[in-house]
Amino acid sequence: MNAFFATIHTSFRRQLTYRAANLSGLFTNLMFGFFRAAVLIALYQEQTSVNGLSIRGAITYAGLTQSLIGVMSFFHWYDLMHTVYDGRVGADLLRPINYFSYWLGIDIGRAFGSLIIRGLPLFLVFSFFYNIILPESLIQWSLFALSIVFALLISFSWRFLVNLASFWTPNALGIGRFAFGLSWIFSGFYFPLALFPDWLANFCRLTPFGASLYFPIQVFIGNIRGAELLQGFLIQIFWIVTLVIFGHIILAQGVKKLVIQGG
Amino acid sequence: MRRNLSLLFRLLRIQIRSQLQYPASFVMEVLSQAMILGFFFAAFALTLSQFGDIGGWTLGEVALLWGLAEFSFGMMDMVFSGFDYDAFGPLVIKGTFDQLLLRPVNITLQVLGSRFVLRRLGKIIEGLIIFIIGLSLSNVDWTLGRILYIPVLILCQVLFFGSLFIFGATTTFWTKERLEILNVFTYGGSEIMSYPMHIFPRAIRLLFSFVVPAIFLSYFPMIYILDKPNPLNMPVFTSFLAPFIAISMFWLSLKFWRFGIKNYQSTGS
Amino acid sequence: MEAIIKADRLSKDYKIYKDHKGYLGALRNLFDRRFTLVHAVNDVSFKIYPGELIGYIGPNGAGKSTTIKMLTGLLVPTSGEVQVNGFVPWKDRKDYVKHIGAVFGQRTTLWWDLPVRDSLDLLKHIYEIPSDRFKQNLNSFREILELDSFMDTPVRSLSLGQRMRADLCAALLHDPKLIFLDEPTIGLDVVAKQRVREFIQFINAKRGTTILLTTHDTADIAKLCKRVMIIDHGKILYDGEFDELIKYYGGSRVLSVEFAEFYQYPTIDQAKIVQRDGVNVIYSFKRENISASKLIHQLSEKYRIRDLEVQDQAIEDVIRDIYENQLLYN
Repeated sequence: MNAFFATIHTSFRRQLTYRAANLSGLFTNLMFGFFRAAVLIALYQEQTSVNGLSIRGAITYAGLTQSLIGVMSFFHWYDLMHTVYDGRVGADLLRPINYFSYWLGIDIGRAFGSLIIRGLPLFLVFSFFYNIILPESLIQWSLFALSIVFALLISFSWRFLVNLASFWTPNALGIGRFAFGLSWIFSGFYFPLALFPDWLANFCRLTPFGASLYFPIQVFIGNIRGAELLQGFLIQIFWIVTLVIFGHIILAQGVKKLVIQGG
Repeated sequence: MRRNLSLLFRLLRIQIRSQLQYPASFVMEVLSQAMILGFFFAAFALTLSQFGDIGGWTLGEVALLWGLAEFSFGMMDMVFSGFDYDAFGPLVIKGTFDQLLLRPVNITLQVLGSRFVLRRLGKIIEGLIIFIIGLSLSNVDWTLGRILYIPVLILCQVLFFGSLFIFGATTTFWTKERLEILNVFTYGGSEIMSYPMHIFPRAIRLLFSFVVPAIFLSYFPMIYILDKPNPLNMPVFTSFLAPFIAISMFWLSLKFWRFGIKNYQSTGS
Repeated sequence: MEAIIKADRLSKDYKIYKDHKGYLGALRNLFDRRFTLVHAVNDVSFKIYPGELIGYIGPNGAGKSTTIKMLTGLLVPTSGEVQVNGFVPWKDRKDYVKHIGAVFGQRTTLWWDLPVRDSLDLLKHIYEIPSDRFKQNLNSFREILELDSFMDTPVRSLSLGQRMRADLCAALLHDPKLIFLDEPTIGLDVVAKQRVREFIQFINAKRGTTILLTTHDTADIAKLCKRVMIIDHGKILYDGEFDELIKYYGGSRVLSVEFAEFYQYPTIDQAKIVQRDGVNVIYSFKRENISASKLIHQLSEKYRIRDLEVQDQAIEDVIRDIYENQLLYN
């Protein structure tokens, strides 16, 4: 357990050292937040609410997705793959810590660092420009925090699984591009899922991608209550359990293959 | 010149060949990219259907803007892959750029030939399909001028995006790493060119008119092609500045590129 | 004879930037940067003549690669002049590089994903090598470097030794008058090193190609180079024959003796005991103080000897001695 926290700590510290990169990423995400907000405002015009999503909610949505993109590292994460291709994986597998936990620790540290120096400042600046919605109670804040932790677990497990493809093929990058494309599509990253037709929105909600981006944002803007809220958390838990178990099974196979063929 | 071109084609041919080594997986990747990228337009279309129009423009009209920008960006991203600042930065750091300087061939040509990402065909196909959807959904009064202006616009947009890539690649001589901030102008530029730009706040519009003059390459020309009212009250000639802007930008970017190389040779890495 | 490389009072200064600390510092770095000036190469002059095979050595950060970059035209000197093969390297880049070749041990000049054969073929077009000349060269190099077994392997799958052989071939196909070899034996095993050295020797001897070799492996220098230049802190400390260098600075020699009986104090003038284990004693002495034969003579007069052996100090140790004790500074 100590090794796990040490890994988180180191990774967190490392993330904080990429100052220029984080600053430029922050600015970029902020600008994209402005673009998306402008499009939503143009769409809403005089309407205040569409499909239960208010214009304020929609704008908050645009800011939040951009704040979370770095934290969740949704669409670009090939770190594990690189270690397989350059051979560092051998040493990593020999560490006295479960391989999954090792990478999870790294990712938690990275995510937390990114939240502090990129996600939070971005949302703060964004909120100066727009009339956004904030959670109204401590309970809502806590539920949001919980949903974010779950979301990171889902997001990480998915990326871990995708990266494991590199144990089998030298072209896992292509698989990654496809897999991250899926998360792009179904997470509700581009336009709020609430603005989609119901059948599509409902489908996206059930996927691990909707569960790791759309759901936490819904909790944040208070757009989801009661049974639906509970259902959302259950979907999150379902995906965490499924992806973690699946990740371990695939990992075991991959390690076996690596050991037999010598990478 | 002829020798340079034949060398460039030789460099490109070899890369295409190696990327087509597994044709089935290549086709799969191109199609899946086209689908993933195309989904954004689908998402926009579905969202727009809840509202009717955006800034007075219909789905078909936006599709023309959108398809054009995607198609041109895809073309550029394929042809100017070597200048993709995500790839060029590492090239400089690893010393590969030095190796290019040690060869007796024009350096710009070598960078152009150093990378050719054929899978960008996915984006090109996607852009084309969206453009065709736009053609079928909108009622354009096609005159000869309007028809001819379309290919000119594509060429202009390719040069415009290409100059942004060259600017971006040149900055990595100093920064030695990719600067995500450049994405605001490249990918961000192509995103806001996909919408009727009067919907954006003044500050953003000014940024994309005078710093990175994207507005002259999609919105103003499309106002002419679609014969739309211009809520920004710009004079008519702004619709025809695209070639002038694109060529100037490209020329400037090459100047900056040469300046960057000169500076690189005097400071080293 | 006209020198092929002329460096005259060559200097290169670098600015080393010091970053401001902290989050706001990152922002501040964009506008306000502090730096210190480092003289990477400091007023260096030398001439190299056609057909020479010169070793260019020095510790890390001494200015070796900065010099090479200036000679190859990758870097513009801060001051001073350099002329190689009649060209100012950084001025007439395209014409100049037609006649030189370069191999970097740390990285390949070949196309990573291409089979060796295709890479070499591309070079034929890049350097506009006439077909028959290309074939001639390729055939002869293929044989000496034994390239045939991996001609169709992509460069990324080659072993280090194979890659180096392919790179050497690539650098020589266009008949350069001059080649720069930067650490060509780095990371290679003994056999591969030997093969590379033989090839370098062959090129120099049979084709008269001028070769400037930088390396950390002193055995490369000892086996290949008649002349060496030593650089440290941006200054050329030594430029002359390698043998002379060893003679003057590799003064220490070692005498290992096995005595026939145990002596409490087997001392001798002019030599000191560096190691002692029963009847086995190792002395070290300086060539300029006493010759080996005289030392042995004196020893055998005082003590009964069973066996003995004289060794020169290893060349690595000599060079290290020169760097560490700054023997060449006056």
